[in-house]
Amino acid sequence: MFRSIAQRLGATATTVVRSNIQRTTPVVCTVRHGHGKKETDEEVDARYEALFNNPELDGWMFRKACNDLQGMDMVPEPRIIVSALKAARRLNDYSLTTRYLEAVKAKCGNRLDVIWPYILQEIRPTLDELGISTPEELGFDKPELAVEDVQDIH
Amino acid sequence: MAQNLVRLAAKRILSIPQRSISVTAIRKQDVALTQEERDRIYPRIGDRDVVGYGFNGTASYMDREEMPFPAIRFKENTDDVLALRELEKGDWSNMTIEEKKALYRSSYRLTFAEMFAPTGEWKAVFAAFMVCLGVTGWIVIFMKKFVYSPYPETITPEYQQKNLERMIAQRQGIVEGVASKWDYENNRWKK
Repeated sequence: MFRSIAQRLGATATTVVRSNIQRTTPVVCTVRHGHGKKETDEEVDARYEALFNNPELDGWMFRKACNDLQGMDMVPEPRIIVSALKAARRLNDYSLTTRYLEAVKAKCGNRLDVIWPYILQEIRPTLDELGISTPEELGFDKPELAVEDVQDIH
Repeated sequence: MAQNLVRLAAKRILSIPQRSISVTAIRKQDVALTQEERDRIYPRIGDRDVVGYGFNGTASYMDREEMPFPAIRFKENTDDVLALRELEKGDWSNMTIEEKKALYRSSYRLTFAEMFAPTGEWKAVFAAFMVCLGVTGWIVIFMKKFVYSPYPETITPEYQQKNLERMIAQRQGIVEGVASKWDYENNRWKK
């Protein structure tokens, strides 16, 4: 008796499964990229260099681009830094250069003694041409002012 | 619901536009704001220039490692700052180190080195931790002196010796336990 019941249940189960499979419509497979196409490193470098070399760049876009560069997991190539320094010269804003050089230094992380001299060596012609001092020459590599953290002010 | 509306309104107050193309402005600025935005923002930030988008679009200043360029300059446009800006338009090689540093300080509050400088906060934390340990020590002493009852007499070595002698005399554990290790003929422990 149980065997016949089991057989009947089995039969209905298989018919249900088969009918479900038959009813499935074919789906077009879309290629998923997550956030879109991934750029190669070379493309990123070229894009930012072109952005900074654009003569219509204004201060807003410069700062936005530098903030974005800071967020990327990379130390910017010397050519990006050079084009950024030249853009700052066009904008007549000196403090941008020092701030950005400090930011690049911060990006070097614990390989500072390897990466920073290389970058300095690569951008030295531009620094001399534009008259920009490095943070070390300005004395900004050591803390100068001590201020109370805003979180500690009660 | 009213609270949410108030919060939304407060958020809008300081925000600057997502993107502004530079046009001729009243004061030379990189970001051109409409009069309405200027009325909204400037009472809160004083005479400082709005220069970018910043971190979230609000006209605020903050030193952050991951976003080195905040939305506004740090210092107000006083005469000496404006004089430095004029100097900036010329050749930068002609500027002295002090002028360059003054320019930096007019736009930014802290250098990166100052942002990362150690605060010595760990000493305060360690001291507080040691004080807590000390208080705990006092509590332990108080408990032992005034709260816990004295040890029972069963703890003394003499009592335990007598107890062991009784166990051997009673033949406790004669097969595998205590008394099995006692040599009854010679009155000593088995070798």
